[in-house]
Amino acid sequence: MDKFNELMQNFERSVRERMRRRDRSGWWLALAPVFSVVLGLLASGLMMLFLHNNPITVYGQMFSYSFRDIYNIADVFAKATPLILTGLAMGFAFRATLFNIGAQGQFYMGAIATVVVALNLGTVPAFITLFLCFIASAIAGGVWGAFVGFAKARFNANEFLVSMMSTYVAIAIINFLVRSPLKEAKGEYPQTDVIPSNSWIPKLIPHTRLHWGFIIALVIAVLAYVILWRTSLGYKIRAVGLNRDATRYAGINSKKIFVIVFLLSGAFAGIAGFTEVNGMQHMLIQGFNPTIGAEGIGIAILGNAHPLGIVLAAILFGLLKVGGNLITQTSTIPSSIINVMEGFVMLFVILSYFIQDKITAIKSKRKLRRGRAVQ
Amino acid sequence: MDDKNDIVIVLRGITKYFPNTIANDHIDLELRRGEVLALLGENGAGKTTLMNILYGMYQPDEGEILIDGKPVKIHSPHNAMEYGIGMIHQHFTLIPVHSVVENVILGIRPRRGERLRIEEEAKKIQQLGERYGLEVNPYALVGQLPVGVQQRVEILKALYRNARVLIMDEPTAVLTPQETDKLFQFIRDFRNRGNSVIFITHKLNEVMEIADRITVLRDGRVVGNILRAEASEKKLAHLMVGRDLLVITKKEATEFGPTVLEVKGLEVLGKRGTKAVDDLSFTVRKGEIFGIAGVSGNGQEELAEALCGLRAVSKGQIILSGKELTNKDALSVIQNGVGYIPADRQKEGLITDMSVAENLILKSYFDPSFVTYGWLNQRRIQSTAQQLVNDFAIKTPSLATKVKALSGGNQQKVVVAREMVIGTELLVAVQPTRGLDVGATEYVHSVLIREREQGRAILLISTELSEVMSLSDRIGVMYKGKLLKVIPSQEATVEEIGLLMAGVVEEDDG
Repeated sequence: MDKFNELMQNFERSVRERMRRRDRSGWWLALAPVFSVVLGLLASGLMMLFLHNNPITVYGQMFSYSFRDIYNIADVFAKATPLILTGLAMGFAFRATLFNIGAQGQFYMGAIATVVVALNLGTVPAFITLFLCFIASAIAGGVWGAFVGFAKARFNANEFLVSMMSTYVAIAIINFLVRSPLKEAKGEYPQTDVIPSNSWIPKLIPHTRLHWGFIIALVIAVLAYVILWRTSLGYKIRAVGLNRDATRYAGINSKKIFVIVFLLSGAFAGIAGFTEVNGMQHMLIQGFNPTIGAEGIGIAILGNAHPLGIVLAAILFGLLKVGGNLITQTSTIPSSIINVMEGFVMLFVILSYFIQDKITAIKSKRKLRRGRAVQ
Repeated sequence: MDDKNDIVIVLRGITKYFPNTIANDHIDLELRRGEVLALLGENGAGKTTLMNILYGMYQPDEGEILIDGKPVKIHSPHNAMEYGIGMIHQHFTLIPVHSVVENVILGIRPRRGERLRIEEEAKKIQQLGERYGLEVNPYALVGQLPVGVQQRVEILKALYRNARVLIMDEPTAVLTPQETDKLFQFIRDFRNRGNSVIFITHKLNEVMEIADRITVLRDGRVVGNILRAEASEKKLAHLMVGRDLLVITKKEATEFGPTVLEVKGLEVLGKRGTKAVDDLSFTVRKGEIFGIAGVSGNGQEELAEALCGLRAVSKGQIILSGKELTNKDALSVIQNGVGYIPADRQKEGLITDMSVAENLILKSYFDPSFVTYGWLNQRRIQSTAQQLVNDFAIKTPSLATKVKALSGGNQQKVVVAREMVIGTELLVAVQPTRGLDVGATEYVHSVLIREREQGRAILLISTELSEVMSLSDRIGVMYKGKLLKVIPSQEATVEEIGLLMAGVVEEDDG
């Protein structure tokens, strides 16, 4: 366990270092993720070759199927909705150089809260139900996250590990709830009853799965941007993230910032519970959406921890999911190709950070050498 | 002595670049057989980097290393050991849960087919220890040994690998005086057997005690190479910290305003719980620059941190214009009007990844003129920042430019501008010109003098003797946490201050 702890800390330190230097001036900063996506798709294409499929036709089909009809197009955005929120959960904390690896658990806590509210509210107008569900999920996710921030502030606990482990606790809580107190009336599966239809999030486009949750996610992304760059709280968050020593000298209480950041970050992930339960599943099912927390981490890195980048990255992942599902239905390629594509994209994004670091180091050295030659 | 065969190691033109700095700039160095070479320099002068290059931890960007006259490439510490070079790091590289013998033999492969005989190795280590006066129980767990003994284990590790050159990086920092004496005995003994030692330090008294020859580094360059017989602490202090005296014209003030800062019997504990600041008292008056001189590491840093609410005061008082500031937090110190120019601007004074404007308000994020109901008042921030950029002639492409893109001098101007706004009562400036070029240095000095003439109280803490002497109205010299003497600047001489910096209170007439 100590060994593992140390390993995680080393990994964390190297990522921290990378994130600290993440803001690069230069035109190709904006293009680095695009290159990475292209390289990721090329590498996945290579895998398709091993599976005796022509990657060009596969990709061609993937995109033409995805855009074949309004249902599939809408589904891309429906799939992107919770990913935007978990991506924001990770990315927002990144800005304070904090690691919220526990978005999955915060998402589950939000889902529990919203399902409990929806099942017990009785007959009240839909907008009130929805509003209360929304608030409940945000609070549940936020409190679950704030606990991690508190542990870091109070006991100097490693937030990386604590947030990661808190997910397993959340899973255990869900497992318990859907097997006993919240188990469906039929008593057949580990899931809750369907929530009353007045607590369903209305459709954005009729006859598709896309609901107003997508708009909520976009609003939250704007909110994250506004907090970070327009308020004094955001200023302090970014300052703590970029140089903790200097903020100490400036009298900023970084411990308070830890708790606030995790509260907000957890609330973002909790709201994903609201959009998924009230917008898509209409019930709480054991072990549903088990990977959106992990995908959120990738999306935050791909989106350079910027809300706009996170929205775009989440839509890309939505596209890969929808397109990937369609090609596995129509060809011999196994569905795990979706994970392969996501994985390769992530790998190349991280590599691009490494290459950028190398380039800056070389540039700096050259500059110094030139400077000395002038002397 | 000048026999070529006597030279063990030659470093020629060693240069190492780190992002944004030159750690070593064409360093030449020679190490002879049977000598203790002291590598003297302040923190950040490049001593450790240079030795890490010799020990194979870093590769030099330029230059070459000759061992016994032959050019070599040292790829790794393992490689360095093969050339007979051992290094004792400041932070030990031992495994606390392993025994002494296990630590010493770690990484040495037994010959093919040979079994590891721990008892034999233990005996060997014990004999080695006895030979050099480094006795230690080979079966003791390293983590349970006192620090001084752990260092012995480090040395035994090197000796076991037949080191003939020992590099010691500030070895006395962790030792008691008795342990230091014992270490010095070992060093002499080791040298007398025809081996060589490179002793990295910034402590002058140690250099005079143990070294045969001294190479002084400053800002990554060799600035002096003298035999101990020809050296004096004063001369070394001058080489290590001094430049030629700057010419600064300032009006001699005859009368000062009321006392702004009063420090009474201050005691502050350092990182290791030892007294870093010891029973210190002084005052700073309005319109006065009070300078604190001293070789770095004598408690100046801790004093400044205590004044700014960043380090706990264990005894004594800090009073600012009649208000008690002892053990107040950093925020209330700022709100009471104390500006602070820290020694390391990039680490402590700036957020280099943020813009010029954002850095200028780093200590005003609570100020209602910049923040209304939690929202940043961008227009006010921009206009104030623009004003400061103009007033302090900060050369920047725009207010949105990241501070890391500015030159060192302009970065420091950002800090100075901000702290002048904050420090309405008192300005604490620590090494305000460290690493700056001549032009920027002059600018910072002129700002300090201008502010003094306008009646600001300034505490200047610097290891640049010339800076303290030319700017201050009164000078105190700090040595081992104590203020040895306070001298009005008209009466101060370089000789006297230099001796005080070396801890010599009265003229030594032998």
